[in-house]
Order: sequence, then C-alpha cells, then structure tokens
Amino acid sequence: MSTKSAGLAKKLGYTNIRVLLAGEPGWAKAGYPTYAGREFISKGNIVLIDLRDADKDRTGRIPRSVSIPASSLKDMMSEIPLKAPVVLYSDREKEAARAWRLLRQEGFKKVSLVPGGIEGWVNSGGTLEQGPVVTEIRWQRKPGKGEVSLARFEKAVAGQLRNVAILDVRTREEAAEGKFAKAIHIPLDELSSRLGELPKDKEIFVHCTTGARADMAAQELKKHGYKASFLVAEVECEGTECDIEE
Amino acid sequence: MKKSLRRLAPLCIMVSLLTYGCVQPKSGQDTASQAPATVAKVGDKVLKGKVVGRSNKARTISIKVGKGAKSKTVMVKFDDRTKGLDFAVKGHAAIINCEKRVKDLYALSIKPKLAKLPAGVSEIKPAELKAMLDDRKDVVLIDSRPAKRYQASHLPGAISIPVDKAKEMASLLPPDKDRQLIFYCGGPT
Repeated sequence: MSTKSAGLAKKLGYTNIRVLLAGEPGWAKAGYPTYAGREFISKGNIVLIDLRDADKDRTGRIPRSVSIPASSLKDMMSEIPLKAPVVLYSDREKEAARAWRLLRQEGFKKVSLVPGGIEGWVNSGGTLEQGPVVTEIRWQRKPGKGEVSLARFEKAVAGQLRNVAILDVRTREEAAEGKFAKAIHIPLDELSSRLGELPKDKEIFVHCTTGARADMAAQELKKHGYKASFLVAEVECEGTECDIEE
Repeated sequence: MKKSLRRLAPLCIMVSLLTYGCVQPKSGQDTASQAPATVAKVGDKVLKGKVVGRSNKARTISIKVGKGAKSKTVMVKFDDRTKGLDFAVKGHAAIINCEKRVKDLYALSIKPKLAKLPAGVSEIKPAELKAMLDDRKDVVLIDSRPAKRYQASHLPGAISIPVDKAKEMASLLPPDKDRQLIFYCGGPT
C-alpha cells in the first residue's frame, strides 16, 4: 500500500520520497510508541487509561477514562482485558511511553497513546470531565466479522438452537482429552477432504482452543458454500465438560 | 505443471534422442548409465497473497489469493521439509510454492513477498525515522492504511491518506514538491 502511494506521489512530481517498509508494526516492534486518533479516543471500543495521580484525574480527565496511576500499572495489569485496545495518557510523555512499552511487553497487541497527553487533548479541542475517580474497567469485546457470539455458541452447545451444527477442528490428541457432546470433530488439516461429513443445510459454528484454527476452518467452509462462523474464545475440555472463556 | 512439462518436453526428446535416437551409442557401452538431465523440482502451484492464518498444531497455512471480490482463501499444509516457514506470518504477504499430494496442497517453500519501491524512492528504517522525528526534521509522514487502522495506532504526527483516497492525495500533500515525504503502511505488502 505504502509503495503504491509513494508511486502516486512520485507521479505528482514530489522529488523527496522514502518508504518505511517495516510499517507501523515494525515501528512498534522497535519499541517506539504509536498514537491514537481523536475519534478512536472518544468513541472507540477501548480501555482508556489515565496514568496520572488520582487527584489530578478527579479534577479533569478525558471522558470514559479509568484511573490507573503509572506506579500501580504493573499490579493492575491483570485487570485489563488482554484483547482490549488500550489507549494511555499522562501529563508526562516519558511516563506514557514507559507504560506503552510495559503493556506491549506484557502481550497487549493494541496499545497507543493520546497525542501530546492530556495537554495535547485539550489543545486540540478535546473536552474534559470531572468527578469521582473511576477504577472499574468495563470492556466488552464485540464479535468481529464472521464470528459467532459466545452467547449464541453456548445456546448451540445447550441444544437450544435449531439448524446449527458445532464443528471442533482441534487435533485428535486434543479431542481425545474431551469434547462437546454435540460437536462433530474434524481436525483442521483433514477438513478439506472430509467436507462431505458436514450438513449444508445447517449453520456451522466452528471452535478450536482460541479461535485461530476455527477462523481458518470457517473461511474454508464458506468457500465451499457452507454457512459457517467461528468462536473466538479459550476452550478447554475434559470428558464432555468444556470451559469457555472470552 | 503443464507449463513446466512443455518446457521440459524438448529436453526429454533431446535426451531420448541422444540415448536411443540417431546418435548410436558405441557398442558395449551401457546406455542406462547415461542419466537424463535432472531438473530442480518445480511446484504444481504458486500462491501469492496475504497470510490470513497459520496453525502449527494443524500444520496448516491459510493464504488469501486474488484481488477484491475475486479473492479467496486457500489452505496449504506444511511439513518438516517446508522451507522458509518463518515467512508465513499472519498479516504478511508471502509467495508459497506448493505441490499437490493426493488431495492436499503442501508448501515446499515460502518466501516473503517483497514490496517493490518505485525508482528513486528509498527505504527508511524505524531507527533512522525515529532520529529524524526526535531532531524535529521537516518530514511529512503519511499513513497509507485504511482510516480505521490509522485511528487505532499511528506513528507520531502522521497524516492519514488511505490508498482508496489516493485521488485526494494531491490536495492533502504540501504544495512544495521538494518536501520530504515518508510513507508507511501495515508492513511489507
């Protein structure tokens, strides 16, 4: 994409063009912070964190933010949903950058900063809110494209949905430990040659242990004319007892 | 495969001619010992596109091939002999050379699909760009990804000109044609 754009700029007559081939992922991987856009900060499905001390937070904060002072971020880490996009701000750039790196090191994949921190927010016309400090994180993952919601999947498991089949694409070894009683088990690597075992007239909910293989399987099924969606959740089975966790 | 067979056909004919044709082997010489020319194995199929999934447990890669509405995902298996497995990274573009075995496609080798830079355009590495930005050098940094990706996480001071808004590029870029422009997107695609 960037090379295409660079080509266009060249056609427009620009003489001094370079491309960061590593892209945004390469930049972040090098440990350099990235920044969130205004719309994302005000409307995105994010966890917005105020890293300043609680008394500063009380007198004026970016709407929707929760207070986690930088000094206690390490201890509070487990409270932040790992899949949530996290946006951080402070009144000190260095402190925000440190927190950004810490979260990335801990496995958070979507972390960004408010450009210019609280000051940058105000200077660009952002509003502030006051009031008691909010510390409780309320973040709900929204199912992405092609996903089945956990609620619907659980209904299917309980046999409360008609015209639905559950497909388990884990390995034979994994399925031997346990599986959903109602599930059809076909390991992902055998799926292409065993499509005939699946009903074309039903909606198929695919699961694995995280969602990665289920996603691949659902794509494959859709290509062959099946109605399929996949579950993004941690699934662990023992016998016919399965634990599902978002 | 057909292509390579066609390419190989004259070679085979030549080899057979040499062996059995007009050139008579000297009597007493064992013709079987003249091994036909061996050719490096060519896969049955070359898939180019973005890797959309990889499972080490299922030893399978999903790659999105084709453009726009015509694009589809293809599942390819890999084994211990697959070369360049590290290049099969979700979200990165790759070229997979595969071979059909019974019903399944197997990856023989995987190479990264490298972006071609237009003539006169050079690459910049993250460290150099960081130093330029820290030194407050005059650069215009452009994010070519979809606006949604820009919103979630972009480089400091970057402006958003998604590829689909390229028509507006002329009006969004500075008028001075000698200004330093630096483009980036979601990695090597």
